[in-house]
Amino acid sequence: MTTPNISTNLLGAIGGVPRPDVDVVVDARDVNKWFGRLHVLKDVCLQVKRQETVVVIGPSGSGKTTFIRCVNHLEKIQSGRIFVNGHLIGYRETAAGGGLPIVGGLPVVSRLPVIGRRRNGGGGTKLIEDREKNIARQRQEIGMVFQRFNLFPHMTALDNIIEAPIHVRGMPHDEAVVIGRALLDRVGLAAKENVYPNQLSGGQQQRIAIARALAMKPALMLFDEPTSALDPEMIGEVLEVMKELAREGMTMIVVSHEMGFAREVANRVVMMDDGVVVEEGTPDQVFSAPSQERTKTFLSKIL
Amino acid sequence: MLVGCLFLLALVVSGCSSSKAQGFTFKADVFLKALNPTSPGVTGVLYLTILISVVAQLIGVALGVLAALGKMARILPLRIIANTYIWFFRGTPLLVQLVFFYYGFGAAHLWGWDDVTLFGFLIPGVIVAAMAILGVNEGAYMAEIIRAGILAVDPGQTEAAKSLGMTYRQNMTRIVLPQAARVIIPPLGNEFNNMLKTTSLIFVLGVVETYNHYVILQGQNFRPFEAYAACALWFLLMTTIWGFVQGAIERRFARGTATGSSAARGPGLRSRLFGSRPQAETGIDALGGH
Repeated sequence: MTTPNISTNLLGAIGGVPRPDVDVVVDARDVNKWFGRLHVLKDVCLQVKRQETVVVIGPSGSGKTTFIRCVNHLEKIQSGRIFVNGHLIGYRETAAGGGLPIVGGLPVVSRLPVIGRRRNGGGGTKLIEDREKNIARQRQEIGMVFQRFNLFPHMTALDNIIEAPIHVRGMPHDEAVVIGRALLDRVGLAAKENVYPNQLSGGQQQRIAIARALAMKPALMLFDEPTSALDPEMIGEVLEVMKELAREGMTMIVVSHEMGFAREVANRVVMMDDGVVVEEGTPDQVFSAPSQERTKTFLSKIL
Repeated sequence: MLVGCLFLLALVVSGCSSSKAQGFTFKADVFLKALNPTSPGVTGVLYLTILISVVAQLIGVALGVLAALGKMARILPLRIIANTYIWFFRGTPLLVQLVFFYYGFGAAHLWGWDDVTLFGFLIPGVIVAAMAILGVNEGAYMAEIIRAGILAVDPGQTEAAKSLGMTYRQNMTRIVLPQAARVIIPPLGNEFNNMLKTTSLIFVLGVVETYNHYVILQGQNFRPFEAYAACALWFLLMTTIWGFVQGAIERRFARGTATGSSAARGPGLRSRLFGSRPQAETGIDALGGH
């Protein structure tokens, strides 16, 4: 297997708290990920500024979904760093060779990835996976919407939305219900509060899923192909909610094949192929005058 | 079920007629007296059988959840503990477990099985032992059932829960286990049916429960046929009633599923009593396990 490597521009981040840059919400630096022998993310760097909407496009298997799953640590990474609001996601940095790292009260031997060892000798740092509780706390600030909705089928629409505010944030039930109803209204489903997900259309389920993520008042929203599992006539209603969200200034990373949406809403379009960020720029630059051959080929196939 | 009753009746009748040659007469009065719930001791032993079954099953479910989670844990020692537990209790006869942990541990002064006072009730040590050993044994079997239930829940549910900031425990208790319950409930019902009957084994500890009551009775009246027939009928009644309760619970837990609306109606009384034709069976009927 290829040894995880680390490039020089990362060194600035090692060994200290990153400079709190209030304008940068997501800062991914040289992220590498392998699935077994398959190198799915290759030195991926991406910055997302506050209130920015970034649409990630690219052929299937290009690593775009894997990348946004790394942003809230649903996937582990093997090297690099991902910061959200200045906090390193999913890992803790420790001095190398300082005995066994203690995670959750038990010594962790070698099952957790040791990533990003500084090459220039002397000390160096290791990344070890953070405690589950801390990762959970970080995820509270990052909303995610899935391709297959993943609503909780044993709960009504409203219960889906208020579940996390009550049980994760500890919000009083009544307060959560008020917020939940407001969110249902915002996604145009106020009448469906007592309906179970299996009685809703795909588009309605996805709008509930967006409301559920928003109920945690996240600083960042991740959308993983939110319209790919929808019938064509339902795509519009979901995109409408997302456009509204972008206009209100939510920071968003959207993996999507909806080029119309990207053109209209995105501040920046990122083209990924084969685990690499091929090209990024404004929608006009990427769609009208792509500089890379791979972007041209991809766009010619889907437009 | 009706066919079953008829078969039992035929058995009794044929037993009477064919055995007459050897001088056996079925004594209906002895049988009815043995069966009569107002006869001394009968209601008491029935309650005891049900009480021990319920408590043992509850212990079994609790241990089953822990063992299932242990088996799936990322931490190796937890997996080893869970696997060893399941391996031992599924690999040895329950009868041996009962005598070993009660008499064996008692003789070796490893565990005394003292009386326990719970909510103001004094529970004799031997009953505590029976409940505990039956429950621990049951937990090993429940573990596999619960593990299958957990694995049946879409992994996307856990991802959604994680993305909302839920911890492992919150995800399990709020999201995964309630959904796994739907898969677990039908086999759990069958396990409880088994448990009702399996409690008869605790006669080896000297507990007078339903079976032991009739063993003692036939020892007094020398009428084993009538006594054991009454015993069998009582167990049959308990498991039959449980069958109806189980059906009601399964329909309750079917809500929120794609088949929820049809399951809400469920099979009618008629089909439950007489069985339904195969082509009339829907998926949920097959799940209902009647």
